Amino acid sequence: MDAVRATGLVKRFGATTAVDGLDLVIAAGEVRGLLGPNGAGKTTLLRMLFGLIRPDQGAVELLGHRLDHLGGDVLEAVGGFVEEPCFYPYLSGRSNLKLLAKLDGGSAAAGQIDEVLTRVDLAARAGDRVSGYSTGMRQRLGLAAALLRHPRLLLLDEPTSGLDPAGTRAVAKLVRELAADGVAVLLSSHQIGELEKVCDSYTVVRHGRAVWDGTAAELDAQAPGSAYALFTSDDTHALDLAARIQGIRIQRAARGGLAVAARQAQMDELVVALGDARVLIRRLELVVSPLESMFFALTTEHDDVALDALEPQQLADTILAGA
Amino acid sequence: MTALAPTAPVDRPQPGLSDGVRNSYETELSKLMAQLTTRILLLVCVLGPFAFAAILKVQSGTPSDALFGFWVHSSGFAVSLVILGFAASWGFPIIAGVLAGDLFSSEDRHGTWKTILTRSCTREDVFAGKLLAVAALVVGLMLVLAASSLIAGIVLVGAHALVNLSGVLTSAGRMFALTVVSWLICLLPVLAYTSVAILFSVATRNGILGVLGPLLVALITQLLDLIGKGVIVHELLIGSAFDGWHGLFTSHPYFGQLIVGGVVSVLWIAACLSASWAIMRRRDFLSGVSGQGPSWTAPVKVVAISIAVVAALALGCSLGPTGATASRVSNSIGRVFNNATLLQQQLIGRRVPPNAHLYVRPECYRPGAQAAGPGDWSCYVYVFLPQANSVPYQLQQVDYDVSVQYNGCWKAQSPPAFVGNATMQDAAGRSVANPLFIVYGCFNIF
Repeated sequence: MDAVRATGLVKRFGATTAVDGLDLVIAAGEVRGLLGPNGAGKTTLLRMLFGLIRPDQGAVELLGHRLDHLGGDVLEAVGGFVEEPCFYPYLSGRSNLKLLAKLDGGSAAAGQIDEVLTRVDLAARAGDRVSGYSTGMRQRLGLAAALLRHPRLLLLDEPTSGLDPAGTRAVAKLVRELAADGVAVLLSSHQIGELEKVCDSYTVVRHGRAVWDGTAAELDAQAPGSAYALFTSDDTHALDLAARIQGIRIQRAARGGLAVAARQAQMDELVVALGDARVLIRRLELVVSPLESMFFALTTEHDDVALDALEPQQLADTILAGA
Repeated sequence: MTALAPTAPVDRPQPGLSDGVRNSYETELSKLMAQLTTRILLLVCVLGPFAFAAILKVQSGTPSDALFGFWVHSSGFAVSLVILGFAASWGFPIIAGVLAGDLFSSEDRHGTWKTILTRSCTREDVFAGKLLAVAALVVGLMLVLAASSLIAGIVLVGAHALVNLSGVLTSAGRMFALTVVSWLICLLPVLAYTSVAILFSVATRNGILGVLGPLLVALITQLLDLIGKGVIVHELLIGSAFDGWHGLFTSHPYFGQLIVGGVVSVLWIAACLSASWAIMRRRDFLSGVSGQGPSWTAPVKVVAISIAVVAALALGCSLGPTGATASRVSNSIGRVFNNATLLQQQLIGRRVPPNAHLYVRPECYRPGAQAAGPGDWSCYVYVFLPQANSVPYQLQQVDYDVSVQYNGCWKAQSPPAFVGNATMQDAAGRSVANPLFIVYGCFNIF
């Protein structure tokens, strides 16, 4: 049984079509990254999956049940939040969770609430009013509220927004743990680097349509390439070696070192060749990941930009400027 | 964040419709009780009547413009009934507005619609839970106010007999029962005001307009009371439904306004809640705290519709029969004057046989272009006093300035030269209120 099966979703706001015939399938235990530029329709899609807005066309099934836009039991095993999590500011974090547990069909035991508060590292401030919480603390409380109902499907919109690096890493770890336990996760984020660490698959959305949908491996294979910054003990020799590898593009970088555009296999070949030639690799940085280049290729408004044709430095500059 | 092993799902009750409504009701009640405004209202309802009664006790004046206001130093029940009258005008709309006017719009303000609507309850559950919670709280506060006003009156003034709206002194026990019933009668119109607040809150998504909505309706009711003489439009207003208890305080009770008021309240409740649910049901919840959420488009629409409705009501105020006619006012004041005069004679120690009555001929007219309708009236009460002379009766004329309301209730006051001062000495030498100084009465307008 799929955790999410959305077919032919269409949502219009006046003359604007926010979501235009979008299909989405997420399996149990799968972590799906949802990417797209601002206004691509990601938030509208999430709101439709939560039943907050009605699709003009199409249907949504969550965990095998058809979603009525009026919500109810279908959402019982669905957790998460859309946009920033919001709570009653005049109540404490713990009281907010108690209310939500009550809405879920029963009062959660104090131990359950303490457990999720500890899990998101908010136990120490749980008695404070939410009005005094920072953005990151609200984000943590949003995660706690989602976990409180033992979800089998998590829909998370920018879950690491406002979190410090340690919090961001903890969220990634939590998501992987939940996925290992069979929980399906849809993760919408602009932070591509964070998505790469946790996602099994991706859906890229542009103008309300899914313009790419596939696994991480498929993405690596289809991505226009990655951009690397390479610092060696002998850049001239490294340029010669790279020129013998088909498909790799390399040039001296303006700020020193080499700029390389290559797929993973080609880069692996270059690293081996450098080792064989006893050229030391002093530093190798991934400047533009496959996901980033794919995202840029699929969502850029400048359709005439052919990433494959760009010089490595141009590739990195173009993508980073676009990001 | 500490990474713990995922918690195993636990068995929880499957929320059906009734469970969902119950859960939502308990949640909403907790939220309402946690708000400062609710606690302030509760405090005012508990302490307000005591403060009012205490202020009355230390000053000689009376709020005589209010029904029973002249009697606040004589009976604790008058204190409760005066508070009921004030509450009907402003207190209940304020309670309804403060509690219900922000009930739905606060979710928009806090961005929490998405938080509660993505839990295991339907929109119906949330809507019904909110309605039940706010209704329970409004009724609860009203009952607290009723109890507090009764206790304050009884403790600070006393559980004494009170002159009813026919000028007859009525026992404390009966007055207690009638006062309690009067408060209960007002429950329905209070819930109607609550429904108005809910509609404003849902339709405008604006807490300020939600809170002001019932006050606006109350203000419009009072302004419309000043214009037109027909009963139809007036009786369709929520404010009029609070008049239903007046008829119970006459010696020959009438129930027309009570029944009409109840039906009108139910119609307001049904109309407001149906419209609110229709809006809520088809609404798309688009944004949270920021973004495009509540705008001023909806409030402007609501204000425009409200102005159109008020204009239509103002134009229709003269529709239907007139409640205050010369014959009704004359008959009512004659009857009350007769009873009040006999009561005055009793108080000063004269023997008044059972079923005694005066020969009274009242003549009332309304100065100005309109011969009927609410407003200021003048009444001449001709009293034929028996005497043992060749002329069997001595004719005495008492003039009253009468203020008649559209609902059939009136207050009459006469210069002291005719009826004596506001207070007089009874047979035991105590200072008591003069029942003829200010006279209240009500008649059936249907």
